[in-house]
Amino acid sequence: MNPFTRWWEVTRREFLAGLRRPANWVLLAIVGFMAWGLSEGSVTIGTGGSGVDAEQPHITSVFNQSMIQCVIIMVIAAWFLAISCGMVVIRDLELRVVEVFHSTRLTPREYVWGKFWGPVGVFAVIWMFFLAFSMFMAHVVRGAGASDVVGDFALGNYLVPTLLFGLPQILLFAGVPFFLGTWTRRPILVFAFPLASILVTMTFLSTWSPSWLSPDVNRLLMLFDPSGFRWLNETFLTVDRGVEFYNTASLQPDVGFVLSRVAFALVGLAAVVAAARSYARRMLAGGMELRFLRWLRRLRWLRWLWRRRTPVSAPATTSKATVADLGMTTRPIGFWKAARVIARSEIRDLVVRPGMYLFVPLILFQVLSTTVLAIGPFNSRILLTSGALAVNQLNTLNLLICFLLLFYTVESLHKERSRRLHEIFSSTSVGTGAVLLGKTLGNSVVAGFILLAALIGDAVMIVWQQLFGGSPVGFDAFPFLATWGLVLIPTFIFWTALVTALFALFRNRYAVYGLGVGLIIYTVFDLQTGGSLTWVTNWLGWGVINWSDMGPFTLHGTPLLLNRLLYLSLVPLLVALSVKWFGRQDFDAMGIIHRIRPKPLLLGTLRLLPFAAPAIILASFLAMKGESGYEGDAADEWGEDYWRKNTATWTDFRMPSVSHVDIDLDFEPAERSVAVEGEYTFYNHRDYPYEKLPITAGPWDPIEWTMDGESYVPDDRANLFVFTPDEPLEPGDTLTIGFSYDFVFMEGMSKYPSGAGEFILESGIVLTAFNPSFAPVPGYLPGIGVDGDNSSEPRDYEDDFFEGETEPLFGWGGAPFTVRTRITTPEEYMANGVGQKVSDEVVDGRRTVEWETDHPVSFFNVIAGKYAVSEGEGTAIYYHPEHDYNIEEMTAALDAARKYYSEWFYPFPWELLKISEFPAYAGYAQGFPTNISFSESIGFLAKSDPLSHVAFMVVAHEAAHQWWGNLLTPGEGPGGNILSEGMSHYATTLLHEQVYGDRYRMEFSKRLEESYGDGRFVDSERAMVKTDGTRSGDGTVTYDKGGWVMWMLQQEMGRDNILAGLRAFIAKYNPDPDFPVIQDMLAVLRDFAPDTTAFDDFAAQWFHAVVVPEYELSDVTKVQEGEGWVVRGTVVNAGTGRMRVEVGAVVGGRWSDEGDDRGRTVVAEGYRDARAVVEVGAGEAAEFVIRAGFEPERVVIDPDVLVLQLNREAAVFEW
Amino acid sequence: MLAIKNLVKVYPGPVAALQGVSLEVPQGMFGLLGPNGAGKTTLMRIVAGLLEPTSGTVHFNGEDIVADPRRIRRQLGYLPQDFGFYPHLTGESMLRFLLVLKGVEAPDGVKHLASELLDRVNLSYAAKRKVKGYSGGMRQRLGIAQALAGDPKLLVVDEPTAGLDPEERLRFYRLLAELAEDRTVLLSTHIVDDISVLCPRMAIMYDGRFVADTTPAEARGRLAGTIYQGVVEKDDLERIDRDYRVTQAILFEGRNEVRIHLEEGPPPDGFEATEPTLEDAYLLLAQANGSGNASAVGEEAGS
Repeated sequence: MNPFTRWWEVTRREFLAGLRRPANWVLLAIVGFMAWGLSEGSVTIGTGGSGVDAEQPHITSVFNQSMIQCVIIMVIAAWFLAISCGMVVIRDLELRVVEVFHSTRLTPREYVWGKFWGPVGVFAVIWMFFLAFSMFMAHVVRGAGASDVVGDFALGNYLVPTLLFGLPQILLFAGVPFFLGTWTRRPILVFAFPLASILVTMTFLSTWSPSWLSPDVNRLLMLFDPSGFRWLNETFLTVDRGVEFYNTASLQPDVGFVLSRVAFALVGLAAVVAAARSYARRMLAGGMELRFLRWLRRLRWLRWLWRRRTPVSAPATTSKATVADLGMTTRPIGFWKAARVIARSEIRDLVVRPGMYLFVPLILFQVLSTTVLAIGPFNSRILLTSGALAVNQLNTLNLLICFLLLFYTVESLHKERSRRLHEIFSSTSVGTGAVLLGKTLGNSVVAGFILLAALIGDAVMIVWQQLFGGSPVGFDAFPFLATWGLVLIPTFIFWTALVTALFALFRNRYAVYGLGVGLIIYTVFDLQTGGSLTWVTNWLGWGVINWSDMGPFTLHGTPLLLNRLLYLSLVPLLVALSVKWFGRQDFDAMGIIHRIRPKPLLLGTLRLLPFAAPAIILASFLAMKGESGYEGDAADEWGEDYWRKNTATWTDFRMPSVSHVDIDLDFEPAERSVAVEGEYTFYNHRDYPYEKLPITAGPWDPIEWTMDGESYVPDDRANLFVFTPDEPLEPGDTLTIGFSYDFVFMEGMSKYPSGAGEFILESGIVLTAFNPSFAPVPGYLPGIGVDGDNSSEPRDYEDDFFEGETEPLFGWGGAPFTVRTRITTPEEYMANGVGQKVSDEVVDGRRTVEWETDHPVSFFNVIAGKYAVSEGEGTAIYYHPEHDYNIEEMTAALDAARKYYSEWFYPFPWELLKISEFPAYAGYAQGFPTNISFSESIGFLAKSDPLSHVAFMVVAHEAAHQWWGNLLTPGEGPGGNILSEGMSHYATTLLHEQVYGDRYRMEFSKRLEESYGDGRFVDSERAMVKTDGTRSGDGTVTYDKGGWVMWMLQQEMGRDNILAGLRAFIAKYNPDPDFPVIQDMLAVLRDFAPDTTAFDDFAAQWFHAVVVPEYELSDVTKVQEGEGWVVRGTVVNAGTGRMRVEVGAVVGGRWSDEGDDRGRTVVAEGYRDARAVVEVGAGEAAEFVIRAGFEPERVVIDPDVLVLQLNREAAVFEW
Repeated sequence: MLAIKNLVKVYPGPVAALQGVSLEVPQGMFGLLGPNGAGKTTLMRIVAGLLEPTSGTVHFNGEDIVADPRRIRRQLGYLPQDFGFYPHLTGESMLRFLLVLKGVEAPDGVKHLASELLDRVNLSYAAKRKVKGYSGGMRQRLGIAQALAGDPKLLVVDEPTAGLDPEERLRFYRLLAELAEDRTVLLSTHIVDDISVLCPRMAIMYDGRFVADTTPAEARGRLAGTIYQGVVEKDDLERIDRDYRVTQAILFEGRNEVRIHLEEGPPPDGFEATEPTLEDAYLLLAQANGSGNASAVGEEAGS
């Protein structure tokens, strides 16, 4: 028999054994399920048009397959491959077959390579099945029905990604764990490698890409990312190249990336070579530890150590005593004592094994680094508070420790068997329950140790931030104890019990690994993709905490507690099953057949019923309450009913104006209830009479209605109440409709652990009049009840839709109105409404505050909490007393906004502009007139460093809505929202420049630009005058591009001209029955443009078409001429659009941090630049010549960040 | 008294490891002899409560071991055929751990008891060394120490002397003999000497059945005057084997020392009558099992 035959025999045997292993069948089922699921087209590249006939990205394209394959292999296959390869030699060692093998002519090298290729071969078969099944599902099964997402069949589209992304990962995740297992012979290290790789890759290498990351570091990370996803994403996907490109282009890797793939493959193979060497050496020379000891013994200065050792050989027999002399007796060991002894043994075992020292730092690094590197709104850093840290780390800790507990529990339960102690161990009188409890307690030390270490790490970070980062935030243990204790501890107890029960049932560690890993992956995948896990089914406790420093657990306290109790209540059942099934005694196969007969099965089930009863009761209660609560089917039904009964009749109905709102609100936050009494005065501002007036109410019952002071019963059309006055409401007439009711907001229990946009809670109150959440809304609301069954086609707007009167985009329509709000709450609350506070009284522990508008508004809200107040110049910020970290910056921003926006756009007409904080159950901010609502997660808990000024930025944007949104309410239709959001971004840009100078304006502009580059959908994007929010990518066009284009228009028109134009624009439309859109604004601004031709050209490009330049530099040279330097080069516009753009030859860093007082711009000494201007159209090139009186270090296109462009980082040339 | 009745164990395959065996084991040492695969270990594991039988009962002092294996664990000392220990623990720590799990107590405490037990198996010198550094014999002795611990009423030892050197083997014989004075010791082995030295009673298993339930003396006595020993040349061995029932044939220095069983008629030339050994009895039984004639050696056991 030749070496090849021997190798082949080992490979073949291992391959066939692998085919029989349950874990591989689990993997086969998972990849089959994924191939089936992916063929639905739910995972595609984010590109393509949004219209019915628009081309869609193909699931079969090489780019889509690359994206899918590199992630699937990394996230799922790596586990199975690493474990099956890493354990293969360990298993043989446990079975003690290797010495027999090597008594034959089989060499260590033949054995090792055979053992390696066996499981790799099995994985290759499974992967081929995945590819073949994917092809079959896409091209055969789905082909006809899903033709819009299925392209022509091309084998290369499947094989190229496998070769480029799959093969290197396969070899890496097979080779390295194989080496670790062969070298150390410790399973825990085999598990450590894929765990570490997946964590580091998925949370850092593949995905971490803040806007400030240097391109060189980015490139380096691409090469070090084993999945290859970062390279794929950053090279092809981040900036949308259009659906045609993704569907037809071939994937062309660069040399560096190919070399990195080859390197990963070689690392895997080199690991196998190292494993073969290690194995061969060990067979000859004993274990690693023995060799280490031998090495130690050679060290002279350690000789004293060896002299003190006990003798190694047996002395002559001396004892003549008998066993009876020992006086031994036996007493049954107590349960707790046994558990304690076993736990101690487990802990001792953990302490001497390396896994703990590997996993704990790894997990700590992962948890702490992801928290420190966490990115908030606008790529800002997040302020590290105890609550934010505890909750941000919750899911990561949960997931990682569950994986760890899976490994440790299974290995611990299998330990006696793998060390052949199980028969002695099982024959002792110690109870099975005590054994399992002891092992569980022992392993729980790992979880406890990690939690403790994470807690200490967090405390250190917070204190460090406080001492050296100037942070005002101190450490508070309560959020950690409350959230980790409530969520993690029950999960770990349940999970350990479940894993133990599975092990007891299957008695096969690989089956338990397969099921455990599968269950975790399924759960997290389902939860992350907006799946269906409710309070009943969310066993992991994933995302169940919506933390607020303003009052934790006030949103989901009861269902969260019941969810935790549910899974704790399952523990006795799982323990009972574990104790019953745990393998102290090997079952008789015939006995199993006997046991699964119906009668014994039924009896067995009945015996377990008392254990299952609490869980059944809790699950039923949670399910029932969830269904009957505000997220249940009943709650959905009224909305659907509302839509079905009214959409055809009332969608195009235009309401008369409301001229005055008078409303009394009496809140009981602890009970989530409010009593409402109020009236709306309608004024017919139109030129036709109204016979009927519809008003939408919430699910409040009963509602007492009045009309002109008389009790009235309107026609109830599923909560659209239709009023029919005795006489039609003639033009210019008024009508008063009154209402009173009380209700519990978010009545009942939630079904899902999601946040809430509006709420009445003990921690705070946020309610808006946009929706019938607390007050009736005039007219029919087409957004209510819309779902898969109830939906309408988006309205198709004609090009001249804005001619004549345009309805408002939001608010109640008609002219602005006055509001008086009287709000009663418990004394400790401060309730804010729109307008000016006219009274504030406390009677019998109840505070009543009255607000009146001193200038009309178009919508209103109510917000309340237990606040401290910071007052500025005509401004106030109401905040949670512990959230004073950014108050100074926010107050300064609000003052600056009020002052400068008044100068630039329109005088602020109200007396007071205030911001009120609300609990972070929602993460938005809304600029209601005079009464801006701010989530605590925005601004208040941002780490507002000088580069980001994020608190300033958010306040500036939201304050700008007082002008762009309130004083000028945009019209309904395409482009309307840009007058709100885009203009607010533009105002923020201006305020940055005003307050902090050029440096920070440029930083802000770059962030918007990058957000646009990342978020745009090339095929979906329409001109700004056509952007209506219905297509993918419309958000970034509305916000980021909108703000940027206005900034560029300012360069075109001149600052004074555009501001004058904008003042005229607001003055014209405030108030006006015609609500403006972009075209209206352009018409006004044009009159202020110094060069109308240039203005028209600009508007044609940026407002009426879709363009975006992408500049590149080529042929750049510098030559010394006399005392100066001449720089020549070419600017190429690889994008679209024609713009004049500056090219700068630069030396030195531009900005200085020296003397940078409170983040204001200071130009660095030594910085010099010389510039030229080029105008480059789409696809064109323009040469430039720059004469500089210094030797330049680099050439920068658009050094002042004045032209919106893609890939700005590539528009730099450095010598 | 250990009473085994109609015990059947069928492994998937199916392989009938025990084919309805019955046996009564009185107090004292009882030997279980049989070739590899006879079902000895299966029987021992069932008796130790580690393996569920397909059918049948096992009672010890009236307690049903099959119905509730926990009952036997309190009274059991068990030394399996194949076992290991936690490698990172020292011998003493490992033993102490097992003593605690067994609920063993002693006047001077468990720690002292562990030392004493290690002394009984001559392992004191290695008490502080980690088990992973133990030789096979040392591990076997540690196994014996744990099996002896706790004054078990039933001691089940499966191949206990495997891996022991002659001196340790004798030490173990002495320990077992001492223990067997007031308890039941079930000793499974295929080493005939172990049985002949230690066991007043024995049973021989073959192919999942008891083929004899007897005493070593009885087994030997039944063969009295029927065993002859002689030395034959290599060429004559085939003829002797054909014409007589050869119990043993050992090649020694190029010549065959042959023992034959001959109930009547003259022995071959050069053969003289000799004392029968238990090995003769065992080997004859093994041969007879194929022909179904086992009565020459011992009472046929119930099966």
